[in-house]
This record gives sequence, structure tokens and C-alpha cells, in this order.
Amino acid sequence: MSNDRIRNFCIIAHIDHGKTTLSDRLLEFTGTVEKRESQEQLLDAMDLERERGITIKSHPVAMTYKAQDGLEYQLNLMDTPGHVDFAYEVSRSLAACEGAILVVDAAQGVEAQTVANVHLAMKQELTLVPVINKIDLPNSDLPSVRRQLEEILAIPAEEAVLASAKAGIGITDILEAVVKRIPPPKGKAEDRMRALVFDSSFDTYRGVVVYVRVVDGSIKAGDVVKMMNTNRPYEVKEVGIFRPTNPKFVAQRELPAGSVGYVIANMKTSAEVKVGDTLTSSRLPATEPLPGFQEVQPMVFSGIYPINTADFEALKVAMGKLQLNDAAFVFQAESSVALGFGFRCGFLGLLHMEIIQERLRREFDMDIIATYPSVIYQVYKTNGEMVLVDNPEHLPDMSIVEEIREPMVRCFLMLPNEAISPIMQLILEKRGVLKHTESLDTRRVMLTIEIPLNEILVDFVDKIKSITRGYGSMDYEHAEHQASKLVKLDILVNGEPVDAFSSIVHRDKAESRGRALAAKLKEVIPTQLFTVPIQAAIGGKIVARETVSAQRKNVTAKCYGGDISRKRKLLEKQKEGKKRMKAIGRVNIPQEAFIEVLKTN
Amino acid sequence: MPPIEHLYIHIPFCPKLCPYCCFYVEEGAKNKNRAFLDALLLELEKQNQIREVIPRTIYMGGGTPTSLLADQLAYLMEGLKTRLPLHQLEEWTVEANPATVRPEKARLLKEAGVNRISLGVQSWNDTTLKTLGRVHSSLQARKTVETLLGAGFASLNIDLMFSVPGQTLEEWEADLQTTLEIAPSHISAYCLTYEEDTDFFLKLSKGHFKQDEARDARLFELTMEQLEAGGYAQYEISNHARPGHESRHNIACWEGREYLGLGPSAFSTLNGERTQNVCDTAEYVRRLNAGMPPVHSRESLDASTLLKEKVAFGLRMATGVEEEHLDNWHAEKIHLLEIGLLERHDSRLRLTRRGKMLADAVGESFMG
Ligand SMILES: Nc1nc2c(ncn2[C@@H]2O[C@H](COP(=O)(O)OP(=O)(O)OP(=O)(O)O)[C@@H](O)[C@H]2O)c(=O)[nH]1
Ligand SMILES: C[S@@+](CC[C@H](N)C(=O)[O-])C[C@H]1O[C@@H](n2cnc3c(N)ncnc32)[C@H](O)[C@@H]1O
Ligand code: SF4
Ligand SMILES: [Mg+2]
Repeated sequence: MSNDRIRNFCIIAHIDHGKTTLSDRLLEFTGTVEKRESQEQLLDAMDLERERGITIKSHPVAMTYKAQDGLEYQLNLMDTPGHVDFAYEVSRSLAACEGAILVVDAAQGVEAQTVANVHLAMKQELTLVPVINKIDLPNSDLPSVRRQLEEILAIPAEEAVLASAKAGIGITDILEAVVKRIPPPKGKAEDRMRALVFDSSFDTYRGVVVYVRVVDGSIKAGDVVKMMNTNRPYEVKEVGIFRPTNPKFVAQRELPAGSVGYVIANMKTSAEVKVGDTLTSSRLPATEPLPGFQEVQPMVFSGIYPINTADFEALKVAMGKLQLNDAAFVFQAESSVALGFGFRCGFLGLLHMEIIQERLRREFDMDIIATYPSVIYQVYKTNGEMVLVDNPEHLPDMSIVEEIREPMVRCFLMLPNEAISPIMQLILEKRGVLKHTESLDTRRVMLTIEIPLNEILVDFVDKIKSITRGYGSMDYEHAEHQASKLVKLDILVNGEPVDAFSSIVHRDKAESRGRALAAKLKEVIPTQLFTVPIQAAIGGKIVARETVSAQRKNVTAKCYGGDISRKRKLLEKQKEGKKRMKAIGRVNIPQEAFIEVLKTN
Repeated sequence: MPPIEHLYIHIPFCPKLCPYCCFYVEEGAKNKNRAFLDALLLELEKQNQIREVIPRTIYMGGGTPTSLLADQLAYLMEGLKTRLPLHQLEEWTVEANPATVRPEKARLLKEAGVNRISLGVQSWNDTTLKTLGRVHSSLQARKTVETLLGAGFASLNIDLMFSVPGQTLEEWEADLQTTLEIAPSHISAYCLTYEEDTDFFLKLSKGHFKQDEARDARLFELTMEQLEAGGYAQYEISNHARPGHESRHNIACWEGREYLGLGPSAFSTLNGERTQNVCDTAEYVRRLNAGMPPVHSRESLDASTLLKEKVAFGLRMATGVEEEHLDNWHAEKIHLLEIGLLERHDSRLRLTRRGKMLADAVGESFMG
């Protein structure tokens, strides 16, 4: 199949506008999956994605489509996530494409990530196919959405295809628009092979699977290739394209210029593959690597520790494998007084953090606990030196600290007019400052605010959603660091500071947060054999105290001698259960406590 | 090999299944027949051939041994006596349900050589008895006590249960007082356990019943105080006796001594092995008649398992355990002494008052 029969495109949208559902329909209409194979949100293959109803990973998949012009096209589709934390997934997928289907919910209209993703796509000069989805909804409002397309995004409204992914309306129109409007890939078949690595994963049986967009030349099994970054040569074992259901990888004779597919070579570890790197021929290497991606900077940091210290190595291996499939996740060994050996990890946001922790638990069966997340602070010492601190434990003694600067973000909030005043109150509470107000149309505004990143980490988006009943949305970008009155809040369990619970917080909020944390911990730490005080302290001064009272009765009657085995096994099981808790000093703290602390605000 | 000195016999029949009970028992008389009794006696004979049984204690439990008909009971006692040398016998206990003991059966047991009766009174409060689904009334229980005393049983245990749904502190106190007035030689006071696969457990998981640690603790404390004041020594977590009336059979089991269990679902601990017979009376009878062993599961007890049990269950007794048995758990021992759950007494370690309330947590420390 020549280049001009290939179309590479993403589906982009704000969260929940129906990207994955639309992908389902495209897969069905092209006969890529039979109706009976199909289940809702087929491409959200991870359990976590299905449970939460959101896409976390971009999912590439190849389809064959017989268009109305009578010709057969290979459509390489990539479903992308909509949540802000995964914008990096979107931009990597965009790099492998010439076009994008932009989905807009007919009832919700243009939202913050719609705007953000359109900017990403425009930066890469992609052709957009706008689709107004969910037209079956009774509260859909086509005139408004059309107006927003033009006014907010400068997209001619008549270009928009009307569709309902759920009801299967407009699907053929979308497929035709993809074929007609999105240009075929431009790569030159005769040039030296260059392929952009845009993702990878780890397969237990085959090792590292590299996801590529072939830009020039072609790749087939037997070729010797190398990564331009490392210069290490590998023999290609297999190339192929992606399928939506098992088997997910279908071998092909070759991947031609312009195509999207996978390459399996003899790569064993995550360290050998870097997303954004260029794969080229080892014998006839290209001179210039492809542009690659801008490095993403993690924004949120947290320590991840194995519950059982013996699992340190296993955790390291698991993280390596996970990193292959999530280039934005970084980690580095660290140790903690209370928790032993573990890793300092960097994430793009809080959802990203939660997802990584969950994937480690589920996909790799690791028992882990995570410390309270932190952003990166610039700490200026009295001697003029500046240190970056992403872990409250590393905060220098306050007597030699001149000033602490915290990272700020510029947030763009799209809101219904009537939500302005309660949202302003929320912004104030979170130490934000309003910079700019702009009407989007008669019913909606966009507020630009500056706010400490620290304040929007945990529940800011949720609060916006609930205040606006789902009609508000948010996007953000980094802004300058700003000096602020910050202090370290420590939590002591049974007199010992537990670094997992420490945080850097604004002074005015430290006490109430200390009280809330202590109260939460009292709730989630089970009673122990002795009384356990829980204290919150700021710079050595106790600001809150709670007590987990001692267990009073834990003894079962045993009616006669026979059931000794059963009784022993019960005790053994109880003991086993304790192993899933972290013992800090003599206090057993369940994993749940570490999770609950996150949710305390 | 030394003879087997402790014998347990399981009689799996009850007038009605109690909704909290997880013992292997059956209602109705389908298997309550001569064939079953013969199977029991056959199992004894076979064991006797492998290793001689010269009992110092016999414990017939269940189930409800006294739900056997008088002639069945007589047949069983006779059968046991012809197969067992009884010159070493110190204690022969039979469990009884107040609804199933008439003077005739009491006399029969006494004449057969039984010297201790364990009576499942549970409560003297008719509401509590109803909640427990018991077939007897408090009045019936009183009469049964009289019958048993009249038949000459000086050694009498009364089983009581506390933390029964709906039971108030005052009601439990009254149960204890009534029992003290009756003054049996032995009192077992069990905190209700919600056993899996029982009706009560289901109700608990559905939220119809609630557990309350603080209330359980108060009732347990009250039990210990009152029975102690009444002259009973708490020689095991749930067992209280006037001096010299401790159940020797149960002590032997808790100390980890060997014993032979006969009958469906019965456990034996013999020759470094713990076995359990099939929990199915018909199958039990069938296997014995077919010359097959009735054992359904075996667990070999290595030294470390035996030690764990010795410590965890030994500590449930007032005498505690030799300190040297805890050598493997030095850190745990120190910690438990420090927080006041264990105490030293001569060269032994035993639970403190608070330790008794937390005996399972203490036992758990020695499982790793
Ligand atoms: N009524 C209606 N509901 C739709 C339509 N398309 C999608 N939905 C529903 O909208 C919700 C979100 O759909 P998804 O396909 O998961 O949305 P998404 O854009 O992939 O979401 P993320 O991947 O989390 O960004 C689901 O409950 C779908 O059933 C549609 O055309 N009509
Ligand atoms: C093996 S039963 C046999 C006694 C006799 N069948 C009766 O119930 O009258 C011995 C005692 O265990 C106690 N018991 C049984 N199930 C119990 C439970 N779930 N929780 C606490 N005690 C229980 C009762 O006090 C019972 O009397
Ligand atoms: S408690 Fe006693 S009477 Fe009730 S079912 Fe259990 S063994 Fe039978
Ligand atoms: Mg999706």
C-alpha cells in the first residue's frame, strides 16, 4: 500500500467528550472488530481505565477502510486521554500523525482541554476534523457549540461533522472526512530509515515493544537498527501493527514509510529505550535524528516504598517496566528513617501519581506505600545559596533559610457565568489571584488566575466540577516561582516523626491542616495493643494531638481442644495481614492511612 | 509407644441446630442409630490395635451426647467399657443439653462411671435463650441441674455465653449471679464468637447484629471479677473452677498433649500429626464398615508449629508457659512485658489481666 493510502490520526478532546466511544464505532464500522467482539470503551483495555471510565494511555490501532471512492485505506488511529495530567501522552501521539479528530461534546461545548489540545495539534500543524458528538443528548446545544468552535477555536463551524458515537450516527461521514481531509504521510520511502519512538511497553514473552512512526525508509524483521541516542545496534525480530483485541500485535512483512506500528528487537530493559529517540538503520544511519519531544518536567513528587523492605529490588524492576509504558514517570532511589529504602518519584500531576501507584499495585502486585506529595520548592539560604527541595525531609533548618519560593501555575478556568462568585471564593481560599476575565459567549467566561501549584494538587478540579455541576473546566501552565510563608508540618506517631506524612504548607494553613491530619490518622490507624499518640508539629511545636486508644479486647473463646489447628491458622492469618501494614516503630499503619492522608485537606 | 491417655468422642446430634454454632452436628435421627454407635466402637478398636488407649480422661462432646436415646446411650457406654481399661480413669465428662436430660439418663451415665457433666445452660434469661435459638427454658435448665445433682454428679460445669445480641450488662450480671448461687464446681463463660457459615455470622455481615469491642471488654471484665469473687479461679481464658475441679481433659489438649478423637469431625493429635475425621456421619460409618480410615485431613506438626501452639495456647492458661519457650521471640517478649500484657511468675510467663483481654493479639505475636 503506497503512502497516499495511509492516514495517521489521533482523536483528541476534553475529558469524557466521547473519544473512546467514538473509537469503538470506528473499529466497528471498518470491520476491525466484529460487533460480537466489541464491548464498550474497547480501547480502554486496562482495568484501571475501565473502572474509572477514563483513558490513561494513548492506544494506537490499525484499521482498514474501504472508502466511498472505492479504494482501501489503512487508517492508523490513536485514542488519547483527555485529562490534563496526560497531555504529554497526547502530544506524543500527535507527533506520529498528520491529523486529528477533534471531538466536542454537544451539551458541554468547548472546554479547557479542548482548547489546550487544539493548541497542541496546531503547533504540530495537524489537520483537524472537528466532530460535534453526543447530538443524541436532549440537552445538546448545536448553535452554541458551533459558535464556540468559531469564536474560541477559530474553526469554521461548517467543517464540523455531527455525530453520536453512542448511537452510531455520522460515523461514515467521519471516516470519509478523515480520508478526504487529512493528508497522507509525506515520508520518503527511498531515504535512509528514520522512525520516531513515540511509546513502548513491556511484554512478558517478547521483552520491550517499541512503538514507532516510520518517517523515512522502511523496517522489516532481520534489519539491524540502532537508537540514535545510545548507538547500540539491535537485530529486528518482528515488526507489525496494532490490533484492538488479543492478539494485540500482528506481525507484518514490513513497516513502510509513513506507517505507524511496533518493532521488537533484542531490547531487554527499560534503560535501552527512550521515548522521543530516533530508530535508524545501523548500516546506513541517518545523519539527523528526528526532532523528538520536549522533555517533560515532573511537577509532583512523592516517595514510594515497599511495605516489606525485601521487595526493594522487585519494586525497582517493576518501576522500570512501568516507565517503559509511561515516559513521563521518573524515579530515583532514596531512603527514609521511618520507611527504609524506596524511591523518590516524579509525576505530571496527582491523577498520574495515583495511576502509577495503582498500576504498581495491580499489574506488578507490589505492596507499597506512598508519601505525601510535594512540589519543587526553591529554598534560598542566608548564605545566598539556592537549593531545590522536592521532599520536605530535605528542607534545611529554618534558621538558615532566607526565603522559600513555591511554584505557581497560570490556570485557565472556563465557567458558566453564575459560577463566578463561588469559584472566586474557592480561588481565594487556595491563595490564588485573579489576573484576567474574558467572556467566551453570553453564558460563559474564562478566568485566568495565578495560584500556587501546591494548592491545586489535591482537590481543586473536583471542587470546580462540583461547584459548576460539571460545566466548569480547567487547564494550566507553569508560571514563575513566588516567595511565600511556608513551613514544614510534621506528624509524629507514637512520638516518632513519620516522614511519609510530612508536608510543606503555608503557615496560615499549617495548624488547621495539622489538626485535620491528626484526626484523619486517628480514624484510619487501627487500635494497637497500647495507646498511640498522634501529634502534628510545626518546627518542633506541637499544634495538634489525637490519641488512638489501645485495643481493649481481642480474644476469642475456644470451646474445646479440637479446633487448635483452625485457631492457630486464624492467628497466622492475622499475622500475615499485619505484614501488609507498615510497621513504624511498634505501630502498624495500613496502606490505607497513606492514601487517606492524601485526601485530607 | 506409651498408651493414649486422653480420649474425645464426638456425638454429632442435637435436638435443634443453634444459629451460632459451627460444630459438625445434625438435627434429626437419620444417622442416630446402632450403625453409628458400632462405627464409633469400631474406630476405637482399630486405634487400640495401632496404639493402646488407657484413658485418664474421656470427654464425650458434640453435639449433644445426651440426645442419644437412653438405650443407645447405654449401648455406647457398655461398648466403651468393654473395650477400654478404666483403671487409670480420673475424669469422664459428658456434655449435656438441659432439654435432653431426664433422671433416667442421668442415672445411667452416673452408673456407667461418668463423673463430670458439662451442661449447656448458656443463659438463665429466657429472652437470651430465645435469641440463641435454644430449645430449653431457664426453668428446664434449673430442673436439669437438680436432676444432675440428685443423681450424684459432684463435678458439674455450666456453659454460659455473653455478648449475645440484645443482652444487657445487667442481664449478664444476673446470669453470673444465678450461676454463682447454684454454685457448680466449674463455669465456662464464652464470649459469643461469630463463626463463619453460621446464621449469626450472616446477620452480623448484614448489619442486623453489631459487634462492640468496648461492650465485650466490659462484659469480659465483669465475668472475671465476679467469678473470682465467687471463689472460682480463671484457669483458662473462658474457664473458671473451684480448686481441684479444673477440666483435666481440656487442660491436656491445651497443653498440647496427645489425644485421640473418635467420631465424625473429631480431631486427634497423635504421633506428631493432627488429623480430622470426615464431617459427614453417613460417610464416617461407610468408611469404617468398608475398612477404610475415617480421616479426612492430616497436618503434620513440626517442632516449630508445636512450639507456636504451645506458646499461644499455653498462655491462655493461668499457669502460662516456661519462659524458655519464648526464646525465639525475644523482641516480642520484651515488648509484651513492657506494655504490660505479659508478666513473669517464677520461671514462667503468663498473661496479665489486660493480657487476657488481648490474648489473641498476644498469641499472634508468636506466629511469625
Ligand atoms: N449520549 C451519548 N453519550 C456518549 C456519546 N459518546 C460517548 N458518550 C458517553 O460519554 C462518556 C464518556 O465517553 P468516553 O468515550 O469514555 O469519553 P473519552 O473522551 O474517551 O474520555 P477520556 O478518555 O476519559 O478523556 C461515556 O459514558 C459514554 O457512554 C454519545 O454520542 N452520546
Ligand atoms: C460444643 S458445645 C456443646 C454443648 C451442647 N451441645 C450445648 O450447646 O448445650 C460447647 C459450648 O460451646 C459454646 N459455644 C458454641 N458455639 C459458640 C459460639 N459460636 N460462640 C461462643 N460459644 C459457643 C456453648 O456455650 C456450648 O455450650
Ligand atoms: S451449641 Fe450445642 S446444641 Fe447447639 S448446635 Fe451447637 S452443639 Fe448443638
Ligand atoms: Mg477515553
